[in-house]
Amino acid sequence: MAYSEKLIDHYENPRNVGSLDKGDTSVGTGLVGAPACGDVMKLQIKVGADGIIEDAKFKTFGCGSAIASSSLVTEWVKGKTIDEAEKIKNTEIAQHLALPPVKIHCSVLAEDAIKAAIADFRTKRDGKA
Amino acid sequence: MTTAEATARGEAQAVRACWSCRGPVPARERFCPTCGLVQEPVAGDHFARLDLEPRFDIDATDVERRYFALQRQFHPDRFAARSAKEKALSLRHATALNEAYKVLKDPLGRAEHLLSLAGRPVRADGAETVSDPELLMEAMELRERLSEAAAAAAVDALLAETRANSAALERKLGHAFAAGDFAAAQKLALRLRYAAKLIDEARERRRRFDR
Repeated sequence: MAYSEKLIDHYENPRNVGSLDKGDTSVGTGLVGAPACGDVMKLQIKVGADGIIEDAKFKTFGCGSAIASSSLVTEWVKGKTIDEAEKIKNTEIAQHLALPPVKIHCSVLAEDAIKAAIADFRTKRDGKA
Repeated sequence: MTTAEATARGEAQAVRACWSCRGPVPARERFCPTCGLVQEPVAGDHFARLDLEPRFDIDATDVERRYFALQRQFHPDRFAARSAKEKALSLRHATALNEAYKVLKDPLGRAEHLLSLAGRPVRADGAETVSDPELLMEAMELRERLSEAAAAAAVDALLAETRANSAALERKLGHAFAAGDFAAAQKLALRLRYAAKLIDEARERRRRFDR
């Protein structure tokens, strides 16, 4: 199967690998998994007082498409507001990376991960207030 | 037996018409009782394909014996002088038997198949996302531990732990299925899926240490 250059680039040089402090109230953590393959993906965002995502990190144990999808999402969300980031669709991820049909669920996982991270951040923020 | 299971079994027991002589063929019969010609294999139910009751606790030796006995019935040599239709049907039986055996001999495959027969599949087209935080956090920690393992011994320790954990999950799955508790079985099967993945990854990493 031929994978796209963008996909291979994100897989070979993943951006923003790592972790942010889970205990930090400005950090939201999304942890999701794929039941079909037993993969696990963690995506974290650090949100400024203005609601803009200052930093994003990910850690994915899964196939190349799952790694590339989460890497791409961390790149996309930086500098966006959480409301904008929430609108990212898996179809955009899949299209950008030219994911083959059997790997579409990897982009779904990345979309769910960013949504979960935003939800976690909101819960923390609203709980604090 | 639950309603969903009973329905699935009921369908499998329906009578169909022989494609050749039009005589009645009980769905589980592989050959027409009237003319003796080979019929379509049973759709979907791997247990029925091996004449087994749908249950988690199975006798592996018995399953293997049934598989080989049935596989002999559909050996291509037996159909060498038969029509193209019969050859094609016998091949479909052989393929269905292979698939059934492959799925049922693996505890995870068996659990997932039982759940899908009960109308409670673990995964919907692979597109469903797991959000059980406890399971995911544990999976993340174990995968991190594996990726940080500096020596073969550390990988072996993790493998031993995960195998023991899988065995415990399989025992619990047996109890859950026996009690008809599909909600519990679903959770356990998902845990077993993650354990299986960890074992695969750990073995792969172990091989790299050996090189």
